Amino acid sequence: MAELRRRGLVTAVVCSGPFMKLGRTQAKVFGVPELPLLEIPHPLGGLKLDEVKGRADVALAQFLKLIKQHSK
Amino acid sequence: MTSHLTQLLNVPGASVEAADDFDAINELVRARGWGDGLPVLPPTAARVEEMLKYCDRPWDEPIALIAPRYGAATPLRLAANAVMAGCRPEYFPVLILAVEAICEEPFNCYGIQATTHQCAVLILVNGPVAKELDINSGHNAFGPGHQANATIGRALRFAQVNVGGAIPGLGDMSTFGSPAKYTYCAAENEAASPWEPLHVERGFPAEASTVTVFAAEAPHNINDHESLTAEGILKTVAGTVAITGANNIWFDGEILVIFGPEHAATVAKEGYSKKDVKQYIFEHARLPLSAFSRENLERRLRQWPVFEGKFAEAGLDARVPMAKHPEEVVIAVIGGSGKHSAFVPTFGASHAVTRALKLRDGQLARSVNDFRRR
Repeated sequence: MAELRRRGLVTAVVCSGPFMKLGRTQAKVFGVPELPLLEIPHPLGGLKLDEVKGRADVALAQFLKLIKQHSK
Repeated sequence: MTSHLTQLLNVPGASVEAADDFDAINELVRARGWGDGLPVLPPTAARVEEMLKYCDRPWDEPIALIAPRYGAATPLRLAANAVMAGCRPEYFPVLILAVEAICEEPFNCYGIQATTHQCAVLILVNGPVAKELDINSGHNAFGPGHQANATIGRALRFAQVNVGGAIPGLGDMSTFGSPAKYTYCAAENEAASPWEPLHVERGFPAEASTVTVFAAEAPHNINDHESLTAEGILKTVAGTVAITGANNIWFDGEILVIFGPEHAATVAKEGYSKKDVKQYIFEHARLPLSAFSRENLERRLRQWPVFEGKFAEAGLDARVPMAKHPEEVVIAVIGGSGKHSAFVPTFGASHAVTRALKLRDGQLARSVNDFRRR
């Protein structure tokens, strides 16, 4: 993921709330501190399918915004 | 202090100035999040230097990078952590070996550090160095009472946190951790075992000293005071191993079964080898599909690649093995008198790693004193 980011591709990692700090730290560790993190509500496990789709919608909205910013 | 150590400690960030006061240093350690909540021994330059006397490699050369921070585990940094944990200097070669082992690819250091699972690193020591360092393998081997058990495991944990960044809620996302994260180190009771020691089984000469690391839960007791036969003991063991909530259901990493010497003797006297015991546990430590929730059945058991499609269409009486292969059952003999054994579930997405204590030239170390700098 870090390598893709370095190559200039639109790249992001999906994290649920409690894992945002870990995600930010890891992005720094791998040399891409600006790597976008798409935050979704926790948890991701133990969900019904429509709840999983709800999480995907939350992430997708952020990802579309990211693509628009990238193409400006 | 040697001029070499002075030079290393003068590198920016390599050391901190603190008042020469036990309480003040402990307050500093607490404030920086460097400890485990218990008091630590202040890592003064003099104590760190004593620790480094048992290191035969450059003090500032990383021996491994510890995930998730991928911090450089240099002997200097490890020595400071070993001092804080209360290690005697002669324990240091075993700590270095354990750090190397957890950073090997099959161990999945990133996974075991950052997971929400409660695994800790169990260091199991075999060979002559276990006796030399008085690493307890008998009564209360996993409990308090022996400095080596108490401090080698603690020092590894400090290295995981302070070098590797396994900070609770930041790099260690364990839902609730485990008491085993304070320390988890013991030796195999080779003298009381009817079978070959773990390191010999794993291809090392008997005279080698080794550490085997497991990403392990704390031991779960297996009480059997009545069985008089091998099959009786093994039936109780297999029944304890077969549980729905262990990670081992979902992954192909090893499970660890620790036999108390009395149970081991009962099993071995009927001619059961370790291989036979593994086969028995592989075949009998199983749960029917009906034991699992509907969601686990539909979302995992019928679909996950680890099951190789065996349960895709299977009826509810089909049985799911805890170990995916007989060789994924690891057997060790630990403990003192008593009709007890223990099941140690593991992280599952991690494989146990065994490493031998060797000098820089590749020769097996006969003693920790082989590492001592003249």
